[in-house]
Amino acid sequence: MHSNRYTLLFTAIITIVLASLLSLADSSLKEKFERNVDVDIKKNILGSLGFKASDDSPWTNEDVESIFQNSIVGFVVDNSGFVVKDKLPEDIDPSIDLDLFPIYKRVSNNITEGYSIPISGKGLWGTMYGYFSIEADGATAKGITFYSHIETPGLGGEVDKPWFQNNFVGKRFVDENGELIGIQTVKGQVDETSKEAYHLVDGISGATMTSRGLNQFLLKDLKLYDPYFSKIRNGKNS
Amino acid sequence: MPFSKKSKTAFTDPLMSNNPISLQVLGICSALAVTTKLDTAVVMSLAVIVVLSVSNTVISILRKMIPAKVRIIVQLSVIASMVIFTDIVLKAFFYDISKQLSVFVALIITNCIIMGRAEAFAMQNRPGRSLLDGLGNGLGYGLILIGVAFFRELLGFGTIYNRQVIPESFYQAGYENMGLMVLSPGAFIILGLIVWAQRIIGKVEEE
Repeated sequence: MHSNRYTLLFTAIITIVLASLLSLADSSLKEKFERNVDVDIKKNILGSLGFKASDDSPWTNEDVESIFQNSIVGFVVDNSGFVVKDKLPEDIDPSIDLDLFPIYKRVSNNITEGYSIPISGKGLWGTMYGYFSIEADGATAKGITFYSHIETPGLGGEVDKPWFQNNFVGKRFVDENGELIGIQTVKGQVDETSKEAYHLVDGISGATMTSRGLNQFLLKDLKLYDPYFSKIRNGKNS
Repeated sequence: MPFSKKSKTAFTDPLMSNNPISLQVLGICSALAVTTKLDTAVVMSLAVIVVLSVSNTVISILRKMIPAKVRIIVQLSVIASMVIFTDIVLKAFFYDISKQLSVFVALIITNCIIMGRAEAFAMQNRPGRSLLDGLGNGLGYGLILIGVAFFRELLGFGTIYNRQVIPESFYQAGYENMGLMVLSPGAFIILGLIVWAQRIIGKVEEE
């Protein structure tokens, strides 16, 4: 039987050794990890705006950074839909700047090819984060991606799969009167002949709560940006 | 170096006749959670194999030094450190995969198999043998996980490793993917059938 003194000493040493090893591993790999996160977010913005890596040559981190650099312009709008001149998306802290919203614009040859906005909200297990892209008309969905969520793999987790995300492409989130109505995921398949089909997408079976959450926070986030996009729809802004 | 008979059984027993999931019924929670698709099941199995073999080896090396009074908490610290380490490495080098597994890597800490092997085997056996035991149990766990995931993905999605295998003509003829397989009860049913089949083949008698 070991003495109390030995027990205390042993646990202290084990704790110190394990903790130092972990902090060493963490601090030496932290830079890599943070870059992965950063690249992953950029990859999502690109993905939502219709950029796609070919299947046999996936993007390297460098590819993502260079495409982003060349084709994406970031800017910030306020809650009345005006562009804030002296700010960039990286300057905003979402926890403080509650009335400033970042937008990433896809530009080629000075022509706007779409806008990407961050979306986030509660799914079933936790907060989901992603990007939603809008065509240059300010009314049509161009794409949607998710880069962070803790939904059940195979169920709610399907939100990050192409089959689900492709459903959104081409759907409209404003009705015929120009009012924002969002895009709703429905149970099962959308009846394409229905009058409402333009703002409905196929749901994920077994993921009712995730879909419900997505419907709500997508609408909530689109509302925040609506002052800006309604101007685009009415041709007052380019 | 030829392995002794005891080392060999430490490795082979948990693969079949003493499988941690289907015979000892340990680690069921993760067997349900990550088996909707094969790809997550495979990575999860690899992570468990790594954590289990390393933690078994480390604990076995320390086994004579660990005070009996605090042995569980020491085992847990070693296991938790290994899991966090695996998570850090996955995030740094295999970011996409680590995203798919989300919370489940961290939950390896609470996987009963790992604590069970540390307490029941590594505390009494030499490091080499404990490593084999860890590998064997990890593989045994992985085999069942992959088996369950195979049927769930095939029946629930009509795919194997994300490739469509059920032809489109089946769907047109009225075949439908089995939604139940995607949900947890599907895992219980498949797991139950596997346990049943194995007990018949292995002629296991309930003690």
